[in-house]
Amino acid sequence: MELLEILTIPFMQRAIISGILLAILLGIFGIFIIPRKMGFIADGVAHGSLLGVAVGLFLGVYPIIFAMILAAVYGALLAKVSNNSRLTHDGLIGLFLTGGMSAAIILLSFIPGYKPELFSYLFGNILAVGWSDLYVLIAAFSITLIVLIKQWRPLIMTTIHNDLSKIIRIHVTTSRYFLFVGTSIALVAGVKLLGVILVSALLIVPVLIANQLGSSFKSTVIISQLVGTLSTFGGIIISYVVDIPTGPTVALTLVIVFSLSSGYSLIRSNLIKKRTSHKHY
Amino acid sequence: MVSIVEHYDSKNTDIIECNDCSICLQSKPILENSSLTIPRNALTFIVGENGSGKTTLIKGILGLIPIENGTMTINSLSKSKLVMGYVPQNLEFPKQFQMTVQEYFKYSAQVPTHLIEGVARKANFPETHLKAPITELSGGQIQKLLLAAELFRKPDILFLDEPLANVDHQGEKHILDVILGIKTEGVTIVIITHDWQMVSAYADHVICLNKNFICNTGLNCICKNSLSKVNIKNIQKVTPDPGFSHEGYCYIENI
Repeated sequence: MELLEILTIPFMQRAIISGILLAILLGIFGIFIIPRKMGFIADGVAHGSLLGVAVGLFLGVYPIIFAMILAAVYGALLAKVSNNSRLTHDGLIGLFLTGGMSAAIILLSFIPGYKPELFSYLFGNILAVGWSDLYVLIAAFSITLIVLIKQWRPLIMTTIHNDLSKIIRIHVTTSRYFLFVGTSIALVAGVKLLGVILVSALLIVPVLIANQLGSSFKSTVIISQLVGTLSTFGGIIISYVVDIPTGPTVALTLVIVFSLSSGYSLIRSNLIKKRTSHKHY
Repeated sequence: MVSIVEHYDSKNTDIIECNDCSICLQSKPILENSSLTIPRNALTFIVGENGSGKTTLIKGILGLIPIENGTMTINSLSKSKLVMGYVPQNLEFPKQFQMTVQEYFKYSAQVPTHLIEGVARKANFPETHLKAPITELSGGQIQKLLLAAELFRKPDILFLDEPLANVDHQGEKHILDVILGIKTEGVTIVIITHDWQMVSAYADHVICLNKNFICNTGLNCICKNSLSKVNIKNIQKVTPDPGFSHEGYCYIENI
């Protein structure tokens, strides 16, 4: 089947549009999350939000809404807790993961029969992305993007240094709440496509690749966006053509790109070292 | 917790007044019932042994750490809010955040691109490093970068935490010239230092912090002789008063 033909299939269109929107959002949030050493937030929130999915399945109501509300609560709690307090961020994220996951499994055990939907939440499924999911995602994306434009400088400055940000009268708390709540909601929005287990790939890997190849903030943003969107697009197409699960295909595509960029970065730094040592002789 | 009161008072010669303020870090009291003033348009030095609370005091004044009790007043010359500048000591940028020096100037102090070179030059920051990542700068270069960005913001009061600690001799002289230059332009400067020569040479006002309150007679006071000889207009000590104060001298030991 040709690429253009694939792109005319409605469920593929929904999957690709939602995948690219997610890659853009999570790629941007990742730039500010990774330097804070909080990459674990992706696993903690995605796994912990399974409780919301379980509540939705149990009540027979659209599960992603419950998961998003729960994720927003997780994000707000993370923003509330200062990393200097006795309860650290990674400790709190671990609590969300274990607590949310355990409660979800217990709740799901009360739902009788086979639960095929659950597997698409765990591992992602391109067929699972419906129009309602896409509309929710487009709404969340638009709101986040508008706030993101306003919060751009505060996010940059608070990532560099909290105290310096306060001195230049940046509202540090607002910026922190936006980052953590926004990231948490975006992660849950990606659960249907990529699954709770693999959605973290879109938050973490594009930034790791961009950090290896970029030399400025501008280039890091551009590279992470290109890598995230192209890998997601490629991963979704490959998963359809080869008939393999979408979440793992997108995640693996990103990991392969990361390996290639690491190799390139290593060769480049060795060449620079050689050139400098030749100059000294 | 105490909120810092800022009001318009052009007649007051002190830009900051702190009365009976206490600051705790993780429930541990660092400063207790401390009182001090910072005079306007003057060069004030904060001295004291390691761990006596110099940086904590500055952070309290800047509103970065909550003040538990007492009153903190900022006397502004105009009705607009006072611009405060701060250059911290030993700042490290996160290694996983790629940003060039030019981008730092753009985002931190909102310096227009065409002015960046001139702004960097003012703090003796090497122009050859403008495209370098901020994570690859040395300690001294970071201090010059932060100082340059703060100078562009045109602060009314500038706090410098050991500004010469990582700077070479030539850089030291340049930064001192810059500091003395902006003082003549009406900026109030507060510097934390251990450099007694600098205090003796340039201070208008000294605030001494004491951790142990051992020196009850002044006999063990290392800085007593060096400070008493120079023309320092005013020496304050930060309380709690040990009850054996000798007015005009500080109480620092083991510097």
